[in-house]
This record gives sequence, C-alpha cells and structure tokens, in this order.
Amino acid sequence: MESLSILVVDDDPVMRRLLHQRLKTENYTVTVAEDGHKAAQLLKQHRFDVVLTDLVMPGDMGGIEVLELTKELSPTTEVVLITAHSSVDSAVAAMKKGAADYLEKPINFDELLLRIEKIANVKTILRNAHDIEEAMDVTEHRAAETIQTLEIEIIKLRNTVSAVELILRDTSRDEDTRVTESLNIIEQS
Amino acid sequence: MIKISPDELKAIALYIRDISGIYLDQSKSYLFETRLSSVAEGAGCSSYRELHQKAKQDPSKKLEREIIDAITTNETLFFRDKGPFELLQHKILPELIDARTPKSPMLKTNLKIWSAASSTGQELYSIAIVIKELIRDLSKYNISLLGTDISDNAIAQASYGKYNKFEIERGLERAVLQKYFTLFGDSWKIKDEIRAMVKFRKFNLMQPLSSLGKFDIIFCRNVAIYFTLQDRTKLFNKIADSLVDDGYLIIGSTESLTGVCPRFIPKRHLRSIFYQKS
Repeated sequence: MESLSILVVDDDPVMRRLLHQRLKTENYTVTVAEDGHKAAQLLKQHRFDVVLTDLVMPGDMGGIEVLELTKELSPTTEVVLITAHSSVDSAVAAMKKGAADYLEKPINFDELLLRIEKIANVKTILRNAHDIEEAMDVTEHRAAETIQTLEIEIIKLRNTVSAVELILRDTSRDEDTRVTESLNIIEQS
Repeated sequence: MIKISPDELKAIALYIRDISGIYLDQSKSYLFETRLSSVAEGAGCSSYRELHQKAKQDPSKKLEREIIDAITTNETLFFRDKGPFELLQHKILPELIDARTPKSPMLKTNLKIWSAASSTGQELYSIAIVIKELIRDLSKYNISLLGTDISDNAIAQASYGKYNKFEIERGLERAVLQKYFTLFGDSWKIKDEIRAMVKFRKFNLMQPLSSLGKFDIIFCRNVAIYFTLQDRTKLFNKIADSLVDDGYLIIGSTESLTGVCPRFIPKRHLRSIFYQKS
C-alpha cells in the first residue's frame, strides 16, 4: 500500500488548508491549487493518483472542466468532487463523465478518508492484478523453455541408453571391451 | 500516457537489465508504458529518452530507484504454493536441526535462512511462522532470517508488515491469520513476535553476494525467471558459493536449474523438489 498523491483544487483558502493538513496527517502526498487554471497547469506537469476538486469555482475552469482535463491527460487518475447539497444533480452528471465519487458539503473528514482509502485499495488490487498477469506470462514462457530443455535432455539420455544397450547385447565381443566402450559412451554423454 | 519508440524501448530495456537484472521482453512495449509513464511524468520528462538520460546522470540515484520500484512485480502471497513450506517443516528443518544441534546443551543451534527476493515480505514471514510452529522454545536457537529485495517500496512494506485484506485473504488460513496478525483498521499487521524474528534489507542480486555471509537455506523463487539465461547462470553460481555444503536451495515450482547451473543437483521429497550442492 503506497502513499497516494492527491491534488486538492478549491478556491476557498480555509477549505484548502484544512484538506491539505488533514490528508497530510494521513500520510498522503498533497498538492494544492487555488483554481481550475492552476490545477490544469499542475495536471500537465505531474501525475496524481487522486484529484479532489470543488465542483463550483469562479472563472471558466470549474470542477467539471478539471474532471474532463484530468481524464484526458491521465485516465487512471480518480476524481472526487466536492459539492454543495444543491448541486447534487450536477455531481451525478459528473459521475457519468468518469468521476469516481462525490462528497457533499460540509465535508465529513472521516467519510472523505474512507472514500480515498477505497480508491487506494482498488489501485492496489489493480496493480496486484497486473503483477500477477505479468508473472504468469513470464512463468509460462520460462516453464515452456524448461520443458524444451528437459525434453532434449531426455532424448540425449535415451540415445545413450540405446547405444549402451546395443554394445552390451553384442555377445560376439568380449565382456571387458564392451564394458569399457559403454563407460566411454556414458562419460561422453 | 507517453508513448515509447522502438529505439527508446531497446535502450531502456538494456538500462533496466543493467540496474536490476530484470530483462523485459521488448515485445511488451505496453508494459514499459504503463509502468514508466508516471515515473517519467513525475520527473518532468516528456519522453523515455529524457527519462533514461536523467536517470543515468542523477547522482542521488533517486530516479533509478523509482524506475526499479515501478518495474519490479511485487506480487507474492503468504504460503504461495504450499510445497516449499511443507518441505521446510517436514524435511529441511528437522534434518538441519539434527545436523546442527551442538553436543553441549549450553550451546545454541545456529541457522541462517535467506529469502533472496523477499518482495513485500510474505515469503519470509511465512518461513518465520513455520519455524515458530515447529520450534516451541526458540531460546536454544540462533535463527537469522534475512529478506532482501531490489525495490525500496517492497522493503518498506515488508518491514512495516501491514497488508490489506486483499493481499492477505488468499493463502492464509483463518487460524494462522488470527494467531499471528492483528487487525488494524481495514488491514492486518504481523505480530511483533514474528516481526522480531526477521530482517529486511535492500539488495541487488546482480551484485556479489559475499557481504551477506553463508546460509543454510536459500529461497530464490520466481525472480530468476525475469533474468536472461546468462544472468541466471551467474546468479545461481553465486548462490552456490553462498550456500553451506549441506545447505538447501529452493526455487520456484515451475523453474529448473537444468542447463543453468550444474553445481546443483535436484532432490525430491514427496511432491517437492529442492536443490543441494553436488
């Protein structure tokens, strides 16, 4: 379980600081942006695991625009929206555009942390699934190689056994010669 | 996601092999992209060529560590395929204890065990649990359990010994889980009595092993599969040097040393294979 990197986007300075402090004490790596434009700038430079953004912000870059840009730049980044009760409908519309979750104001921090932990768990499962897939792939490949090597070894051993058998069964020659010759073949194999 | 070009793929695959031994098939460009894209972006690089240059020139090796963390697979399970642990419990440990127990009751029995690619710690904790179950009174023993891995993240998680329910639910029986782990929110944390038995340390298997000393038992499962044949031969030769003469080597159940290292001979106990020096 690695520490997630979270981008907090909120035009309210008090809210921004609260979120920053609370998430930091939970060992998350936190970056803050005071509006959508600053967020856009950061999103182009870094990859975040989670973007936590206010839905309604002044200017032409609101929460929906931040969501759209995030999903365009990094589809695996999860977006959680913070909404006022009155804008729940738009939050639901945002979920349809790919937001992972939304939280109503006033924010219940325990609830927020639970939601983020859920996102972290899903990310761990995904990573584990990818790791297992890759490990299976490589294992299968190597196992196939091993089987080939062993098959070749078996053929070599079989040939040795047949050659030795042929010599030993040849009663026309004396026993000492046959044994010496057989041992030679075994040593060379 | 930043796309990788064929030239970059070649260069970065060789670079990763140099720093970690892991040789990724170049047909898997998607793997490089999904694993390294975020490292590149995090470092402010717009291409893998830039990332490669930056990583090579970084004296702090921070970027190199990030690349290793991103590329290594940390997938392991507790008691993943039961065979090796049954082998340890019913054959290897009893034999070694017989051979190592000193005549004088004043002296302790020494045993050194190494998990060569310990990843996030599950294998070494599983070994510790087997030992704890087998030997009730550990005061007469000096048992050293060392886990090494190339990934900083893996070592950090292993040392912490905390696993979420998805990481723990497969492989561990309920009774074992409750006996040796404490519920910690949504996660399980290994109990101190087991944690205190083991040590984890970062180590690159491409380096010489002599600094680690000699071991009675070495687990090296499912890591050499990511190496080229040449690097596998080198690794198992070094492992042969690090194993005491009557020591035991356990490799992954789908792996074989045939054609890799003739210094080991396979032996069988029930349905499991282990290796000893010839």
